[in-house]
Amino acid sequence: MAKEKIVAPPRKKKLTAFDVVNYIVFIIIALMIIIPMWKVLVDSLNRYGVYQFRLWPHNPTLEGYLTIIKTARLRRPFMISVVTTILGTFLGLLISTLGGYVLIQFDMPGRNALAYFLLFTLIFQGGMIPDYLVMKSLGLLGSWWVLVIRHGINVYNIVLMRNFFEGIPGSLYEAARIDGCSPMGIFFRIVLPLSKAALASIGLMFAVTIWNDYSTVQIYITNPDNVNFQYKLRQMIMDGDTPTTSYNISQTTLFNAGIIAAILPFMILYPFLQQYFVKGVNIGAVKE
Amino acid sequence: MLSVVKLLITTFTSVIVSIFLNEMRNLHAKKALQTVIYLPHFMSWAVVASIFSLFLSPSSTGLVNGILRSMGVVGENEYIYFLATSAWWRPIYYVINIWKETGWGTIIFLATLSGINPELYEAADIDGATRGQKIWYVTVPALANTIITVLILNLAKVMNLFESVFVLYNTAVLDVSDVISTYIYRQTFATMNPDYGFTTAVGLFKSLVACVLVLVCNKLSKMTRGRGIV
Repeated sequence: MAKEKIVAPPRKKKLTAFDVVNYIVFIIIALMIIIPMWKVLVDSLNRYGVYQFRLWPHNPTLEGYLTIIKTARLRRPFMISVVTTILGTFLGLLISTLGGYVLIQFDMPGRNALAYFLLFTLIFQGGMIPDYLVMKSLGLLGSWWVLVIRHGINVYNIVLMRNFFEGIPGSLYEAARIDGCSPMGIFFRIVLPLSKAALASIGLMFAVTIWNDYSTVQIYITNPDNVNFQYKLRQMIMDGDTPTTSYNISQTTLFNAGIIAAILPFMILYPFLQQYFVKGVNIGAVKE
Repeated sequence: MLSVVKLLITTFTSVIVSIFLNEMRNLHAKKALQTVIYLPHFMSWAVVASIFSLFLSPSSTGLVNGILRSMGVVGENEYIYFLATSAWWRPIYYVINIWKETGWGTIIFLATLSGINPELYEAADIDGATRGQKIWYVTVPALANTIITVLILNLAKVMNLFESVFVLYNTAVLDVSDVISTYIYRQTFATMNPDYGFTTAVGLFKSLVACVLVLVCNKLSKMTRGRGIV
């Protein structure tokens, strides 16, 4: 911010009609995004569902959320979501940093072949059914480990990590090598500490992908006990599969509470981590 | 088709939004707006589909049908079942995509816009250009390259549409919503005796077309900006 202020020439003009219209347009855009979310939030606290848009809940109740916590068939998917996201992010970071580090070992024999091998999977995929058959023969069908393993290995993120590592000055590696540092020592003592920003960005990308994943569950997790929260939520709302019928709140309240629970973790984290999310997009796209 | 139209629409709205966002003078307002418009991107398709299906639901708690009823557009006990009507499904799919992805799409355009040399605007000021002229003759040409890049990058992915369609479609609107991945899914997992050979072949054909698209896009990318995407 401070830097921008110095660079930008101070343009002090009075508010023109253009500015006013611009502000109004953006207020409308912002409202278009906020209103649906606000309605969901308010409805999740309302005891009875109504179609009207309310600014504030009428008879606020936390029953919707309590039902999620108390009903085992909703709590378990939520816990599975949490566990798979944590494990998957960890595995993803481990593999993408190690993979990226291997790819910058330019004197390693076979490095090019390995790189092309990895890149080929980005361009050409076997498709849904061969993937499914592989998972089936690995015995992973129905287990929530599918979520961790399928997302943990992500070639695109390996390439992103490699691009980031390439930006570290080569003289640092050289200096460490002269000081007698082993390749793994360089990795842990130099590469990783210098890549904190990239680790945060890519880690968040992994976490969001795994938390939000729906299709992997739909295709591979055949055991209804092992589905994640996103899957359970959609099943509940769109396929009308409600876990129990004895509630003292309306269905709509429960649905809306479910939606809020599904987006809550990232909505809380997001304002603090926005810069890392945004950086993740830019390291991928604008390399210039 | 669905995928290409979606791509064009969301890119177009992203460009418009980022141009006007760039015209914002108040930096705090700009930051706050960016925070808000990026938000929907972090919701999964399952969540977005759930939100919109609750809003569009034909029951007594559906927002849109409720409003239509109270305005007298539809009768007291009537409703429009938006997501199960062929005529409505595609427009709604596009609207939901715009709602979810426009904000996120602006990131890359804003990055380009912040790189425009301010001298260009000053020169335009001296020549007496109006706000509109400055946008049209300075901002838009500066973005042209990025727009092409984004379109090319995303063109390579048009065959991969699955989740967003899958969570929103249903058997009533198959004629307007089916894409190749959902077709493969249904042929394999929604039938009693799946023919893995046939669906694998369909999937491989899709992969092949996608692969050709990537290579063509890479070529195009090299032609327009001097370097490839892979």
